[in-house]
Amino acid sequence: MQYALLAYAPPEDTDRATRPIPVTLAARLDRPDVAGWARLHAAESATTLRNDDGQMLPTDGPFIDSKEYLAGLFLIEADNLDGALALAGELLQETRPGTAIEVRPILDGRSRGA
Amino acid sequence: MALDAVFRDQWGRVLATLVGILGDLELAENAAAEAFAVAAERWPRDGEPANPTGWLITTARNRAIDQLRRQQVLAAKTTLLARDLEAGPQEALMDDAATIPDERLELIFTCCHPALALEAQVALTLRTLGGLSTDEIALAFLVPFETTSKRLTRAKHKIRDAGIPFAVPPDHQLPDRLAAVLTVIYLIFNQGWGGGRVDLAAEAIHLGRALADLMPDEPEVLALLALMLLHDARKAARLRDGQVVPLDDQDRTLWDTPQLNEGRALLQQAMTRRRTGPYLVQAAIADLHLYQPRDWPQIAALYETLARQTGSPIVEMNRAIAVAEIDGPEAGLAILDRLDLDHYRYFHSTRADLLRRAGRPSAAHHAYRRALDLAQTEPEQRFLQDRLAETTPSVPRQPGCATT
Repeated sequence: MQYALLAYAPPEDTDRATRPIPVTLAARLDRPDVAGWARLHAAESATTLRNDDGQMLPTDGPFIDSKEYLAGLFLIEADNLDGALALAGELLQETRPGTAIEVRPILDGRSRGA
Repeated sequence: MALDAVFRDQWGRVLATLVGILGDLELAENAAAEAFAVAAERWPRDGEPANPTGWLITTARNRAIDQLRRQQVLAAKTTLLARDLEAGPQEALMDDAATIPDERLELIFTCCHPALALEAQVALTLRTLGGLSTDEIALAFLVPFETTSKRLTRAKHKIRDAGIPFAVPPDHQLPDRLAAVLTVIYLIFNQGWGGGRVDLAAEAIHLGRALADLMPDEPEVLALLALMLLHDARKAARLRDGQVVPLDDQDRTLWDTPQLNEGRALLQQAMTRRRTGPYLVQAAIADLHLYQPRDWPQIAALYETLARQTGSPIVEMNRAIAVAEIDGPEAGLAILDRLDLDHYRYFHSTRADLLRRAGRPSAAHHAYRRALDLAQTEPEQRFLQDRLAETTPSVPRQPGCATT
């Protein structure tokens, strides 16, 4: 089995970009049972993309949770936000209606692929 | 003071070039502010340098390099900067005005990126390209200083963290992205009408001119500038003794004729490009409104085109006004009754006017009351109070003396 672990942070935690990963956590992340991980920029940097009748509409801010649930995640490479939004749009087009994708930048050099 | 005008003119240009060099809007803005402060102190004493733009950019860039050195993150921050540093004496770099890249277009597309909230796009555009202070922006939109300041900082951080590109979008994205830029400019323009706190209409025209300068082949860019100029040219005639004066009652000698001519010339220029868009249609309508007698059938037809392009109920409302002129107030009211615009203040004043003309004073009175509840500026309130008094059932009707 594979699992995705989703870490949530309190809203006052805003200086994460400048803070290193704690040494003890870094050691655990190196274990072979950790397939991949990413440290994300705060929610304020998020853009949410919705499919409105085939038109991809970006809005500022994170996806606001109501009854929808987190259904998956993609790790992608792009030159900039436009590239990320374009790829997110392609993926969104192939998902079920009503799906939204939140695009959140990964902190520089703070990820390891699966 | 003349220096202020120079600064205002140079701010967007200098800032844009700095963002291009430094790759960070916040850093560029701080550096630019420092350079302008140095200029404000030195220029009146030592005289203006031969190439003010180059001087400001070079000074700002050197300040930014100092700051980055202090932070010890120079190499990580930008490789381009490092290359510049190795290239030799910095003073020589920005000496020739012709070699300074004009990157205002990149900057405006960054500020009006759809991943930023619209209020943030507006505030950021006014700050970076318009050179307005945070104070002025807060005042203009009646938003607390703290809110505006936070909004600007957050937007700058998002641009940096999310990787919003400092670039003119590629051709396939350009129409949508340009539409977003034009929306921001027109929003700024419309905020400037009636308010009178900071002259946002003038700011929007300034931005529109810069954009027309940078994208002279885009008909919608020219059309938006034309539209703003045509509206703004009637500014002096729109108010009399603190009262709103309807178009037909305006003193035409107060209209700014050179500005009207400029707007019309731009409209002609935009029309020769053979591509239509919502701003071109609106500018054409604005122009038609200025002739007497007005060509209502053509105005109604253009509103119909515009309604198709935009799907906007407000456009339909304006079409109703034109239709009322052609087929009578009841025909206009029939269109209004289909619209869901209860929250819109001009909907109620428009409806009230048609009801009054249709000989239904008590319904008109009710609608004027609703318009007055929603009115946002004093001249609007005074105008509506007069109309309200005129349609009060027990009081004999008075001639509309305040507007003639």
